[in-house]
Amino acid sequence: MFSSILITVVIVSSLSAGLAAILVVCQLLVANYGTCQITINGEKEISVQGGESLLAVLSAQKIFIPSACGGRGTCGLCKLKVLEGAGPLLPTEEPYLDSEERKNQVRLSCQVKVRNDLQIEIPPELFAIREYTCRCAEILDLTHDIKQFRLELLEPAAMEYIPGQYVQLRTPPYAGQKEEVYRAYSISSDPAQKNSIELIIRLVPKGICTTWCFQHLNVGDTVRFNGPFGDFHLSDTDKPILFIAGGSGMAPIKCMLHHMKNTGNPRQATYFFGANQVRELFLTDQMHEFESALPRFRFVPVVARPEEGKAWQGQTGLVTDAVRREISNAAECEAYLCGSPGMIDASIKVLQELGMNREHIYFDKFG
Amino acid sequence: MKPSPQEQKLEEVLRSSKLVAGGFMGQDRRSLSEIVEEDQAALAHLRYTARQLAARMDAITRTAISGLGTWVAIDSLRQARVDEAKGSLPCPWPHAGRFAKRVTTLQRLDTGQTIQWSDLNIHMIAEHAFFEGKGSHFRIEPDEIVLMIF
Repeated sequence: MFSSILITVVIVSSLSAGLAAILVVCQLLVANYGTCQITINGEKEISVQGGESLLAVLSAQKIFIPSACGGRGTCGLCKLKVLEGAGPLLPTEEPYLDSEERKNQVRLSCQVKVRNDLQIEIPPELFAIREYTCRCAEILDLTHDIKQFRLELLEPAAMEYIPGQYVQLRTPPYAGQKEEVYRAYSISSDPAQKNSIELIIRLVPKGICTTWCFQHLNVGDTVRFNGPFGDFHLSDTDKPILFIAGGSGMAPIKCMLHHMKNTGNPRQATYFFGANQVRELFLTDQMHEFESALPRFRFVPVVARPEEGKAWQGQTGLVTDAVRREISNAAECEAYLCGSPGMIDASIKVLQELGMNREHIYFDKFG
Repeated sequence: MKPSPQEQKLEEVLRSSKLVAGGFMGQDRRSLSEIVEEDQAALAHLRYTARQLAARMDAITRTAISGLGTWVAIDSLRQARVDEAKGSLPCPWPHAGRFAKRVTTLQRLDTGQTIQWSDLNIHMIAEHAFFEGKGSHFRIEPDEIVLMIF
Protein backbone atom coordinates (compact mmCIF):
# COMPACT_ATOMS: atom_id res chain seq x y z
CA MET A 1 0.00 0.00 0.00
CA PHE A 2 2.71 2.48 1.09
CA SER A 3 4.93 1.60 -1.87
CA SER A 4 2.10 2.20 -4.36
CA ILE A 5 1.45 5.65 -2.83
CA LEU A 6 5.18 6.39 -3.03
CA ILE A 7 5.31 5.28 -6.69
CA THR A 8 2.28 7.46 -7.50
CA VAL A 9 3.90 10.50 -5.80
CA VAL A 10 7.15 9.91 -7.71
CA ILE A 11 5.30 9.56 -11.05
CA VAL A 12 3.21 12.72 -10.47
CA SER A 13 6.28 14.68 -9.32
CA SER A 14 8.27 13.53 -12.36
CA LEU A 15 5.46 14.50 -14.70
CA SER A 16 5.21 17.95 -13.07
CA ALA A 17 8.96 18.46 -13.29
CA GLY A 18 8.90 17.39 -16.94
CA LEU A 19 6.08 19.81 -17.75
CA ALA A 20 7.89 22.64 -15.93
CA ALA A 21 11.05 21.92 -17.96
CA ILE A 22 9.03 22.01 -21.20
CA LEU A 23 7.51 25.36 -20.15
CA VAL A 24 10.96 26.82 -19.43
CA VAL A 25 12.25 25.66 -22.84
CA CYS A 26 9.13 27.08 -24.56
CA GLN A 27 9.63 30.36 -22.71
CA LEU A 28 13.19 30.52 -24.01
CA LEU A 29 12.36 29.53 -27.58
CA VAL A 30 8.83 30.76 -28.23
CA ALA A 31 8.73 33.83 -25.98
CA ASN A 32 12.15 34.99 -27.06
CA TYR A 33 11.34 38.22 -28.83
CA GLY A 34 14.94 38.83 -29.87
CA THR A 35 16.23 42.31 -30.54
CA CYS A 36 13.61 44.99 -31.15
CA GLN A 37 14.08 48.48 -32.53
CA ILE A 38 12.38 51.39 -30.78
CA THR A 39 12.16 54.60 -32.81
CA ILE A 40 11.71 57.64 -30.60
CA ASN A 41 10.13 60.82 -31.99
CA GLY A 42 10.92 59.63 -35.54
CA GLU A 43 14.62 60.30 -34.98
CA LYS A 44 16.44 58.32 -32.37
CA GLU A 45 16.60 54.51 -32.67
CA ILE A 46 17.50 52.17 -29.87
CA SER A 47 17.99 48.41 -30.00
CA VAL A 48 16.68 46.49 -27.03
CA GLN A 49 16.06 42.91 -26.01
CA GLY A 50 12.32 42.21 -26.26
CA GLY A 51 10.23 40.74 -23.49
CA GLU A 52 10.19 43.54 -20.91
CA SER A 53 7.71 46.38 -20.45
CA LEU A 54 8.33 49.56 -22.45
CA LEU A 55 8.75 51.46 -19.16
CA ALA A 56 11.46 49.05 -17.95
CA VAL A 57 13.22 49.00 -21.32
CA LEU A 58 13.35 52.81 -21.49
CA SER A 59 14.52 53.03 -17.89
CA ALA A 60 17.38 50.63 -18.72
CA GLN A 61 18.27 53.03 -21.53
CA LYS A 62 18.35 55.88 -18.97
CA ILE A 63 15.15 57.41 -20.31
CA PHE A 64 13.05 58.02 -17.20
CA ILE A 65 9.30 58.22 -17.56
CA PRO A 66 7.47 59.45 -14.41
CA SER A 67 5.90 56.54 -12.53
CA ALA A 68 4.65 56.44 -8.96
CA CYS A 69 3.73 52.76 -8.73
CA GLY A 70 6.87 51.21 -10.15
CA GLY A 71 5.19 49.75 -13.22
CA ARG A 72 2.21 48.03 -11.61
CA GLY A 73 -0.34 49.76 -13.78
CA THR A 74 -1.99 51.49 -10.84
CA CYS A 75 -0.85 55.12 -11.03
CA GLY A 76 -1.49 55.95 -14.70
CA LEU A 77 1.45 58.37 -14.85
CA CYS A 78 3.69 56.64 -17.40
CA LYS A 79 1.69 57.62 -20.49
CA LEU A 80 3.42 57.75 -23.87
CA LYS A 81 2.30 57.83 -27.47
CA VAL A 82 2.96 54.47 -29.12
CA LEU A 83 2.37 55.01 -32.81
CA GLU A 84 3.18 51.50 -34.01
CA GLY A 85 3.75 48.04 -32.65
CA ALA A 86 2.00 48.13 -29.26
CA GLY A 87 -0.88 45.80 -30.11
CA PRO A 88 -4.41 46.29 -28.83
CA LEU A 89 -5.22 48.34 -25.73
CA LEU A 90 -5.17 46.15 -22.61
CA PRO A 91 -8.01 46.04 -20.06
CA THR A 92 -5.48 47.20 -17.46
CA GLU A 93 -4.89 50.42 -19.41
CA GLU A 94 -8.47 51.31 -20.30
CA PRO A 95 -9.43 52.98 -16.99
CA TYR A 96 -6.56 55.45 -17.27
CA LEU A 97 -7.07 56.66 -20.82
CA ASP A 98 -9.80 59.03 -21.95
CA SER A 99 -11.22 58.99 -25.49
CA GLU A 100 -8.87 61.75 -26.68
CA GLU A 101 -5.83 59.87 -25.43
CA ARG A 102 -7.00 56.61 -27.02
CA LYS A 103 -7.51 58.45 -30.32
CA ASN A 104 -3.96 59.83 -30.02
CA GLN A 105 -2.52 56.34 -29.39
CA VAL A 106 -1.49 57.11 -25.83
CA ARG A 107 -0.61 54.00 -23.81
CA LEU A 108 0.63 53.16 -20.33
CA SER A 109 4.27 52.33 -20.95
CA CYS A 110 4.35 49.92 -18.01
CA GLN A 111 1.63 47.78 -19.62
CA VAL A 112 3.03 47.73 -23.16
CA LYS A 113 5.34 44.76 -23.60
CA VAL A 114 8.14 45.13 -26.13
CA ARG A 115 7.59 42.17 -28.48
CA ASN A 116 8.47 43.77 -31.82
CA ASP A 117 9.65 47.05 -33.30
CA LEU A 118 7.92 50.12 -31.87
CA GLN A 119 7.50 53.74 -32.84
CA ILE A 120 6.97 55.99 -29.84
CA GLU A 121 6.84 59.68 -28.94
CA ILE A 122 8.39 61.03 -25.76
CA PRO A 123 8.08 64.68 -24.65
CA PRO A 124 11.55 66.18 -25.30
CA GLU A 125 11.91 67.47 -21.74
CA LEU A 126 11.99 63.90 -20.44
CA PHE A 127 15.35 63.35 -22.20
CA ALA A 128 16.95 65.76 -19.72
CA ILE A 129 15.98 63.49 -16.86
CA ARG A 130 18.83 61.46 -15.43
CA GLU A 131 19.37 59.12 -12.56
CA TYR A 132 21.74 60.55 -9.97
CA THR A 133 23.78 58.77 -7.35
CA CYS A 134 24.69 60.94 -4.40
CA ARG A 135 25.82 61.00 -0.81
CA CYS A 136 23.71 62.31 2.02
CA ALA A 137 25.98 65.11 3.25
CA GLU A 138 23.85 66.83 5.89
CA ILE A 139 20.57 66.39 7.75
CA LEU A 140 19.16 69.42 9.57
CA ASP A 141 16.15 69.48 11.90
CA LEU A 142 13.98 72.41 10.85
CA THR A 143 10.93 71.68 13.04
CA HIS A 144 9.68 68.70 15.05
CA ASP A 145 8.54 67.03 11.81
CA ILE A 146 10.46 68.74 9.01
CA LYS A 147 14.09 68.07 8.05
CA GLN A 148 16.39 69.43 5.39
CA PHE A 149 18.57 66.92 3.55
CA ARG A 150 21.63 67.95 1.53
CA LEU A 151 22.63 65.46 -1.13
CA GLU A 152 26.07 65.75 -2.77
CA LEU A 153 25.97 64.53 -6.36
CA LEU A 154 28.48 61.82 -7.21
CA GLU A 155 27.43 60.48 -10.62
CA PRO A 156 26.65 62.58 -12.61
CA ALA A 157 28.45 65.17 -10.50
CA ALA A 158 26.29 68.15 -11.47
CA MET A 159 22.66 68.86 -12.31
CA GLU A 160 20.93 71.67 -14.17
CA TYR A 161 17.36 72.41 -13.18
CA ILE A 162 14.81 75.18 -13.25
CA PRO A 163 13.98 76.62 -9.81
CA GLY A 164 10.62 75.12 -8.81
CA GLN A 165 11.29 71.64 -10.23
CA TYR A 166 11.28 68.40 -8.26
CA VAL A 167 13.12 65.07 -8.16
CA GLN A 168 11.92 61.54 -7.45
CA LEU A 169 13.84 60.17 -4.50
CA ARG A 170 14.41 56.42 -4.37
CA THR A 171 13.59 54.65 -1.14
CA PRO A 172 15.41 51.31 -1.01
CA PRO A 173 13.87 48.28 0.70
CA TYR A 174 14.13 48.68 4.48
CA ALA A 175 12.67 47.08 7.60
CA GLY A 176 9.34 45.54 6.52
CA GLN A 177 9.34 47.46 3.27
CA LYS A 178 10.23 44.88 0.63
CA GLU A 179 10.26 46.96 -2.53
CA GLU A 180 11.94 50.15 -3.65
CA VAL A 181 9.66 53.13 -4.29
CA TYR A 182 10.11 56.64 -5.65
CA ARG A 183 8.51 59.76 -4.17
CA ALA A 184 8.57 63.36 -5.42
CA TYR A 185 10.25 66.20 -3.50
CA SER A 186 10.84 69.79 -4.64
CA ILE A 187 14.40 71.06 -4.73
CA SER A 188 14.94 73.82 -2.15
CA SER A 189 18.59 74.69 -2.67
CA ASP A 190 20.41 77.50 -4.44
CA PRO A 191 20.41 76.51 -8.13
CA ALA A 192 23.88 78.05 -8.46
CA GLN A 193 25.13 75.07 -6.46
CA LYS A 194 25.33 72.54 -9.27
CA ASN A 195 26.98 69.69 -7.35
CA SER A 196 24.43 69.28 -4.59
CA ILE A 197 20.73 69.66 -3.95
CA GLU A 198 18.70 70.18 -0.81
CA LEU A 199 15.27 68.76 -0.08
CA ILE A 200 12.87 69.88 2.66
CA ILE A 201 10.84 66.88 3.78
CA ARG A 202 7.99 66.70 6.25
CA LEU A 203 7.46 63.40 8.06
CA VAL A 204 4.29 61.72 6.89
CA PRO A 205 3.16 59.38 9.68
CA LYS A 206 3.41 55.83 8.30
CA GLY A 207 4.72 57.16 4.98
CA ILE A 208 7.11 54.86 3.14
CA CYS A 209 9.69 57.36 1.95
CA THR A 210 9.58 59.92 4.74
CA THR A 211 9.87 57.19 7.40
CA TRP A 212 13.00 55.97 5.63
CA CYS A 213 14.39 59.52 5.40
CA PHE A 214 13.69 60.28 9.06
CA GLN A 215 14.52 56.96 10.69
CA HIS A 216 16.93 55.09 8.42
CA LEU A 217 18.87 57.57 6.28
CA ASN A 218 22.16 58.74 7.79
CA VAL A 219 24.84 61.20 6.78
CA GLY A 220 27.29 59.39 4.51
CA ASP A 221 24.70 57.02 3.02
CA THR A 222 24.40 56.62 -0.72
CA VAL A 223 21.12 57.91 -2.14
CA ARG A 224 19.62 57.77 -5.63
CA PHE A 225 17.08 59.99 -7.32
CA ASN A 226 15.97 60.86 -10.82
CA GLY A 227 14.89 64.17 -12.22
CA PRO A 228 14.41 67.04 -12.64
CA PHE A 229 10.67 67.05 -13.32
CA GLY A 230 7.89 69.63 -13.38
CA ASP A 231 6.89 72.90 -14.97
CA PHE A 232 6.37 75.02 -11.83
CA HIS A 233 8.69 77.99 -12.38
CA LEU A 234 8.79 81.80 -12.36
CA SER A 235 7.40 83.52 -15.43
CA ASP A 236 9.37 86.10 -17.42
CA THR A 237 6.99 88.97 -16.68
CA ASP A 238 7.60 91.88 -14.33
CA LYS A 239 4.31 91.50 -12.46
CA PRO A 240 4.51 91.69 -8.65
CA ILE A 241 4.75 88.20 -7.15
CA LEU A 242 2.72 86.68 -4.34
CA PHE A 243 4.26 83.51 -2.94
CA ILE A 244 1.99 81.47 -0.66
CA ALA A 245 3.22 78.28 1.02
CA GLY A 246 3.01 76.19 4.14
CA GLY A 247 5.14 73.44 5.69
CA SER A 248 7.47 71.71 3.23
CA GLY A 249 5.87 73.84 0.50
CA MET A 250 8.69 76.21 1.47
CA ALA A 251 11.07 74.19 -0.76
CA PRO A 252 10.41 75.41 -4.33
CA ILE A 253 9.75 78.98 -3.17
CA LYS A 254 13.11 79.09 -1.39
CA CYS A 255 14.79 77.80 -4.54
CA MET A 256 13.08 80.55 -6.59
CA LEU A 257 14.21 83.19 -4.07
CA HIS A 258 17.84 82.00 -4.39
CA HIS A 259 17.45 82.33 -8.15
CA MET A 260 15.96 85.83 -7.85
CA LYS A 261 18.88 86.85 -5.65
CA ASN A 262 21.47 85.30 -8.01
CA THR A 263 20.01 87.06 -11.03
CA GLY A 264 19.30 90.38 -9.30
CA ASN A 265 15.62 90.01 -10.14
CA PRO A 266 14.00 93.38 -9.34
CA ARG A 267 10.40 92.13 -9.15
CA GLN A 268 8.31 93.06 -6.16
CA ALA A 269 7.57 89.90 -4.18
CA THR A 270 5.65 89.09 -1.00
CA TYR A 271 5.92 85.65 0.58
CA PHE A 272 3.09 84.52 2.88
CA PHE A 273 4.20 81.44 4.81
CA GLY A 274 1.62 79.71 6.99
CA ALA A 275 2.21 77.63 10.11
CA ASN A 276 -0.08 76.33 12.82
CA GLN A 277 2.16 77.41 15.66
CA VAL A 278 5.26 79.53 16.14
CA ARG A 279 7.36 76.39 16.67
CA GLU A 280 6.45 75.29 13.13
CA LEU A 281 8.11 78.29 11.50
CA PHE A 282 11.56 77.63 10.06
CA LEU A 283 14.32 79.22 7.97
CA THR A 284 13.04 82.64 9.05
CA ASP A 285 16.62 83.99 9.34
CA GLN A 286 17.30 82.97 5.77
CA MET A 287 14.07 84.64 4.65
CA HIS A 288 15.14 87.86 6.37
CA GLU A 289 18.50 87.59 4.54
CA PHE A 290 16.52 87.47 1.30
CA GLU A 291 14.72 90.61 2.43
CA SER A 292 18.13 92.32 2.75
CA ALA A 293 19.38 91.03 -0.60
CA LEU A 294 16.15 91.66 -2.52
CA PRO A 295 14.99 95.20 -1.68
CA ARG A 296 11.45 94.63 -2.98
CA PHE A 297 10.95 91.30 -1.22
CA ARG A 298 8.88 90.95 1.97
CA PHE A 299 8.48 87.81 4.09
CA VAL A 300 5.18 87.49 5.97
CA PRO A 301 5.03 84.53 8.36
CA VAL A 302 1.48 83.77 9.49
CA VAL A 303 0.70 81.67 12.55
CA ALA A 304 -2.76 80.15 12.89
CA ARG A 305 -2.73 79.63 16.65
CA PRO A 306 0.32 81.02 18.47
CA GLU A 307 1.16 79.00 21.57
CA GLU A 308 0.05 80.51 24.85
CA GLY A 309 2.90 82.43 26.42
CA LYS A 310 4.77 82.89 23.13
CA ALA A 311 5.32 86.55 22.34
CA TRP A 312 4.22 86.45 18.70
CA GLN A 313 4.08 89.87 17.08
CA GLY A 314 3.37 88.74 13.52
CA GLN A 315 0.26 87.94 11.54
CA THR A 316 -2.21 85.46 12.98
CA GLY A 317 -4.97 83.30 11.53
CA LEU A 318 -4.99 81.29 8.33
CA VAL A 319 -2.51 82.22 5.63
CA THR A 320 -5.43 83.12 3.37
CA ASP A 321 -6.74 85.56 6.01
CA ALA A 322 -3.40 87.37 5.92
CA VAL A 323 -3.44 87.52 2.11
CA ARG A 324 -6.92 89.03 2.22
CA ARG A 325 -5.81 91.61 4.80
CA GLU A 326 -2.54 92.59 3.13
CA ILE A 327 -3.10 92.49 -0.62
CA SER A 328 -4.94 95.28 -2.39
CA ASN A 329 -3.44 94.96 -5.89
CA ALA A 330 -4.10 91.28 -6.63
CA ALA A 331 -5.33 92.04 -10.15
CA GLU A 332 -1.82 93.25 -11.07
CA CYS A 333 0.02 90.31 -9.50
CA GLU A 334 1.01 86.72 -10.24
CA ALA A 335 0.76 84.09 -7.54
CA TYR A 336 2.97 81.05 -6.92
CA LEU A 337 1.52 78.56 -4.47
CA CYS A 338 2.97 75.43 -2.95
CA GLY A 339 1.32 73.32 -0.30
CA SER A 340 -1.58 71.06 0.45
CA PRO A 341 -4.50 70.88 -1.98
CA GLY A 342 -6.70 72.44 0.71
CA MET A 343 -4.41 75.42 1.14
CA ILE A 344 -4.02 75.88 -2.60
CA ASP A 345 -7.75 75.65 -3.30
CA ALA A 346 -8.46 78.16 -0.50
CA SER A 347 -5.73 80.48 -1.79
CA ILE A 348 -7.02 80.36 -5.38
CA LYS A 349 -10.50 81.22 -4.14
CA VAL A 350 -9.27 84.20 -2.12
CA LEU A 351 -6.98 85.47 -4.89
CA GLN A 352 -9.78 85.34 -7.44
CA GLU A 353 -12.10 87.14 -5.04
CA LEU A 354 -9.40 89.81 -4.73
CA GLY A 355 -9.42 90.20 -8.52
CA MET A 356 -6.54 88.02 -9.67
CA ASN A 357 -6.88 86.40 -13.07
CA ARG A 358 -6.92 82.59 -12.73
CA GLU A 359 -4.32 82.37 -15.51
CA HIS A 360 -1.85 84.24 -13.31
CA ILE A 361 -2.02 81.69 -10.51
CA TYR A 362 0.64 78.96 -10.69
CA PHE A 363 0.89 76.18 -8.19
CA ASP A 364 2.69 73.01 -7.19
CA LYS A 365 -0.10 71.08 -5.55
CA PHE A 366 0.84 68.27 -3.20
CA GLY A 367 -1.91 66.21 -4.78
CA MET B 1 -14.33 29.50 -5.08
CA LYS B 2 -11.04 29.88 -6.89
CA PRO B 3 -10.16 33.57 -7.46
CA SER B 4 -9.94 34.81 -11.04
CA PRO B 5 -6.56 35.98 -12.42
CA GLN B 6 -7.78 39.59 -11.99
CA GLU B 7 -8.65 38.94 -8.35
CA GLN B 8 -5.29 37.27 -7.80
CA LYS B 9 -3.47 40.26 -9.31
CA LEU B 10 -5.50 42.67 -7.17
CA GLU B 11 -4.69 40.74 -4.00
CA GLU B 12 -1.03 40.75 -4.98
CA VAL B 13 -1.14 44.56 -5.32
CA LEU B 14 -2.97 44.88 -1.98
CA ARG B 15 -0.35 42.79 -0.19
CA SER B 16 2.53 44.64 -1.82
CA SER B 17 4.18 47.52 0.03
CA LYS B 18 4.77 49.44 -3.19
CA LEU B 19 1.88 51.86 -2.79
CA VAL B 20 1.61 52.21 0.98
CA ALA B 21 3.95 51.19 3.78
CA GLY B 22 3.25 47.60 4.81
CA GLY B 23 0.59 47.16 2.12
CA PHE B 24 -3.19 47.34 2.47
CA MET B 25 -3.59 43.87 3.97
CA GLY B 26 -1.26 44.14 6.96
CA GLN B 27 -0.65 40.73 8.54
CA ASP B 28 -4.15 39.57 7.66
CA ARG B 29 -3.96 36.13 6.05
CA ARG B 30 -7.65 36.11 5.06
CA SER B 31 -8.45 36.55 1.41
CA LEU B 32 -9.78 39.88 0.15
CA SER B 33 -13.29 38.47 -0.27
CA GLU B 34 -13.24 37.08 3.29
CA ILE B 35 -12.19 40.46 4.72
CA VAL B 36 -14.87 42.30 2.76
CA GLU B 37 -17.58 39.79 3.67
CA GLU B 38 -16.76 39.83 7.39
CA ASP B 39 -16.66 43.63 7.55
CA GLN B 40 -19.93 43.83 5.62
CA ALA B 41 -21.51 41.44 8.10
CA ALA B 42 -20.25 43.54 11.03
CA LEU B 43 -21.72 46.66 9.43
CA ALA B 44 -25.04 44.97 8.74
CA HIS B 45 -25.16 44.01 12.41
CA LEU B 46 -24.68 47.70 13.28
CA ARG B 47 -27.38 48.62 10.73
CA TYR B 48 -25.15 50.77 8.55
CA THR B 49 -23.90 50.41 4.99
CA ALA B 50 -20.38 51.07 3.77
CA ARG B 51 -21.65 53.94 1.64
CA GLN B 52 -23.34 55.58 4.66
CA LEU B 53 -20.09 55.41 6.60
CA ALA B 54 -18.06 56.75 3.70
CA ALA B 55 -20.51 59.62 3.15
CA ARG B 56 -20.25 60.69 6.81
CA MET B 57 -16.44 60.36 6.80
CA ASP B 58 -16.29 62.42 3.62
CA ALA B 59 -18.53 65.12 5.10
CA ILE B 60 -16.29 65.38 8.17
CA THR B 61 -13.16 65.59 6.00
CA ARG B 62 -14.72 68.29 3.79
CA THR B 63 -15.57 70.36 6.88
CA ALA B 64 -12.11 69.92 8.41
CA ILE B 65 -10.28 70.90 5.21
CA SER B 66 -11.28 74.51 5.79
CA GLY B 67 -9.01 74.58 8.86
CA LEU B 68 -5.90 74.18 6.64
CA GLY B 69 -4.30 71.88 9.20
CA THR B 70 -5.91 73.27 12.37
CA TRP B 71 -8.71 71.74 14.46
CA VAL B 72 -12.22 72.47 13.24
CA ALA B 73 -15.40 71.87 15.28
CA ILE B 74 -17.62 69.27 13.59
CA ASP B 75 -20.39 69.41 16.20
CA SER B 76 -20.65 69.80 19.97
CA LEU B 77 -19.03 66.37 20.48
CA ARG B 78 -16.35 66.22 17.82
CA GLN B 79 -13.46 68.14 16.29
CA ALA B 80 -11.33 67.19 13.31
CA ARG B 81 -8.19 68.26 11.52
CA VAL B 82 -6.80 67.41 8.13
CA ASP B 83 -3.10 66.97 7.36
CA GLU B 84 -1.90 66.73 3.82
CA ALA B 85 1.38 65.54 2.35
CA LYS B 86 2.92 65.88 -1.09
CA GLY B 87 1.91 63.29 -3.63
CA SER B 88 -1.14 61.20 -4.25
CA LEU B 89 -2.15 57.59 -3.92
CA PRO B 90 -3.76 55.53 -6.64
CA CYS B 91 -6.61 53.22 -5.76
CA PRO B 92 -5.20 49.69 -5.96
CA TRP B 93 -8.28 48.51 -7.87
CA PRO B 94 -7.86 48.57 -11.66
CA HIS B 95 -9.68 51.80 -12.40
CA ALA B 96 -8.69 55.44 -12.67
CA GLY B 97 -8.61 57.14 -9.29
CA ARG B 98 -5.93 59.10 -7.49
CA PHE B 99 -6.37 60.51 -4.02
CA ALA B 100 -4.52 63.26 -2.19
CA LYS B 101 -2.37 62.10 0.69
CA ARG B 102 -4.81 63.60 3.12
CA VAL B 103 -5.33 62.21 6.61
CA THR B 104 -8.30 63.25 8.73
CA THR B 105 -7.99 62.95 12.50
CA LEU B 106 -11.34 62.95 14.34
CA GLN B 107 -11.46 63.47 18.08
CA ARG B 108 -14.39 62.91 20.42
CA LEU B 109 -14.32 65.78 22.90
CA ASP B 110 -16.13 63.79 25.61
CA THR B 111 -13.74 60.81 25.66
CA GLY B 112 -10.62 62.22 24.00
CA GLN B 113 -10.58 59.20 21.66
CA THR B 114 -9.23 59.76 18.17
CA ILE B 115 -9.50 57.90 14.90
CA GLN B 116 -7.76 58.57 11.58
CA TRP B 117 -8.60 57.89 7.97
CA SER B 118 -7.23 58.81 4.57
CA ASP B 119 -9.09 59.98 1.47
CA LEU B 120 -8.21 56.61 -0.05
CA ASN B 121 -9.92 54.89 2.91
CA ILE B 122 -13.12 56.79 2.15
CA HIS B 123 -13.00 55.78 -1.49
CA MET B 124 -12.19 52.12 -0.79
CA ILE B 125 -14.99 51.87 1.77
CA ALA B 126 -17.55 53.56 -0.51
CA GLU B 127 -16.66 51.78 -3.73
CA HIS B 128 -15.12 48.49 -2.65
CA ALA B 129 -16.41 47.99 0.92
CA PHE B 130 -12.77 47.48 1.86
CA PHE B 131 -11.65 48.57 5.34
CA GLU B 132 -8.11 47.13 4.82
CA GLY B 133 -6.65 44.04 6.43
CA LYS B 134 -5.97 43.69 10.14
CA GLY B 135 -2.57 45.09 11.07
CA SER B 136 -2.35 47.50 8.15
CA HIS B 137 -1.56 51.10 9.13
CA PHE B 138 -4.92 52.43 7.99
CA ARG B 139 -7.18 49.50 8.91
CA ILE B 140 -10.54 50.84 10.14
CA GLU B 141 -12.64 48.67 12.43
CA PRO B 142 -16.31 49.07 11.43
CA ASP B 143 -17.60 49.08 15.01
CA GLU B 144 -15.03 51.67 16.14
CA ILE B 145 -15.69 54.08 13.31
CA VAL B 146 -19.46 53.86 13.78
CA LEU B 147 -19.07 54.81 17.44
CA MET B 148 -16.81 57.73 16.56
CA ILE B 149 -18.62 59.36 13.66
CA PHE B 150 -22.34 58.88 14.42
